Amino acid sequence: MSDENSKLCDENHFRDFYLKHVQSANNFAYYKCGDDETALDLVQDAFTKIWENCSKIDFSKVKTYLFTSINNLFLNNIKHQKVVLRYAKEAPNLDTNNQSPEYLFEEEEFKQKLTKAIASLSEVQREVFLLNRIDGKKYREIADLLDISQKTVEKRMSGALQLLKAQIENI
Amino acid sequence: MKNEKEILKWLNNELSSKEIEDLKQSEDFETLEKIAHYASQLETPKVDAHAALEAFKARNHSKKKTKVRTLNFKTFYRVAAVLVVLLTSAYFLFYNNTKSFETQIAQTKTFTLPDNSEVILNSASKLTFNKKKWSDKRDLTLEGEAFFKVKKGQTFSVNTTAGVVKVLGTQFNVKERKNYFEVNCYEGLVSVTYNNETVKLPPGKTFRVINGTIENVEDFNTKNPSWIQQESSFNRIPLDQVIAELERQYDLKIKVEDVDTSKLFTGSFTHTNKEIALQAVTIPLKLSYKIEGKTVIFYNYDVK
Repeated sequence: MSDENSKLCDENHFRDFYLKHVQSANNFAYYKCGDDETALDLVQDAFTKIWENCSKIDFSKVKTYLFTSINNLFLNNIKHQKVVLRYAKEAPNLDTNNQSPEYLFEEEEFKQKLTKAIASLSEVQREVFLLNRIDGKKYREIADLLDISQKTVEKRMSGALQLLKAQIENI
Repeated sequence: MKNEKEILKWLNNELSSKEIEDLKQSEDFETLEKIAHYASQLETPKVDAHAALEAFKARNHSKKKTKVRTLNFKTFYRVAAVLVVLLTSAYFLFYNNTKSFETQIAQTKTFTLPDNSEVILNSASKLTFNKKKWSDKRDLTLEGEAFFKVKKGQTFSVNTTAGVVKVLGTQFNVKERKNYFEVNCYEGLVSVTYNNETVKLPPGKTFRVINGTIENVEDFNTKNPSWIQQESSFNRIPLDQVIAELERQYDLKIKVEDVDTSKLFTGSFTHTNKEIALQAVTIPLKLSYKIEGKTVIFYNYDVK
């Protein structure tokens, strides 16, 4: 293990680790703060912490450490603000065959409602929901990253779904 | 939410296509499907990983310098000095068990020691003792003159620069002045140590040292030293000692002009009337005096 730890302190190894995880870390930070610059700042700060403490961090836990650092830095520094996400430019509709104007309009409206609803989720629900939906992570993976149990992840996921559904059907 | 387990499994890609078909039949599923679908279409800012790494390295190098904090000795010494002052003053304030009594010129004081022994302190005298150690050791230091009525008990010692007086339970007077040391025993037995020599004094006896020589003194049979009754008595005492006592009892400066101060004086003077006291001293010695403010001059009227 000490061998792996020293690996993390090795610059090449650290670079690989950085390149591999910077995007998902940035996504996570983004789900929290909703601002790209702030998100990247958080990520860089978290990586800095890892680099400075490279000899002390258990290598098998370093991803968790990364996400926990982002979370803590976020809680310490960033004022809570609404997280409104945008859709990809070429986001296909659910039913790609249906091109009727009514359907297109309906779907567009639905997407608006959805972003609003996601913005109203609690932070922990949103991060779990988006890590699953956007990053396609399994509950087990999310649980490891956030250092919580899979049960908790499922609870938050189901809470998020219910809230989203209720909000969308109400509006 | 119905089928919660299945829905969660579905979102976690754990359902087979057949199970998904079943789930699709359930009501409300349409909204969920849309939520699941469109949520995954949401976009996150793309990070240019390599550019970010370069930026990271740049800021990291500036950050990597370990902060060097020099130990600030100045502050350290300041704090240490303040602490030393505080602790020592606290020690002397709160652990000071030394009790002292002092009298000014023309003043006497009566007080009781922790064992109920009584002390009467004559003018311009000082008595100190340790309160805490008093129960083990009745030990005190005297500068000047005092009369003791000691309760029976362990050895009671009076330390003076001239000698040590030890008793068990008695009444005695100690007078320690410049070039003068006198102990009078009124009751019981007093042991006086002077120059490593110990003398035992029974009641009525006096031990007197003037200018380093031990003198023989006649017995007395008073119950108290005369100064307790506001009078100073002298029995063959050199004039300079008498003058010194006068100066202590009345706030005076006494000068002599052509007078032999080693002349012996026997008699007494009162503490209550300055004129009478001066006359009481000067007339028997065939002297005269004149008062100039606070200064009194003794002179020989024979000469004139």
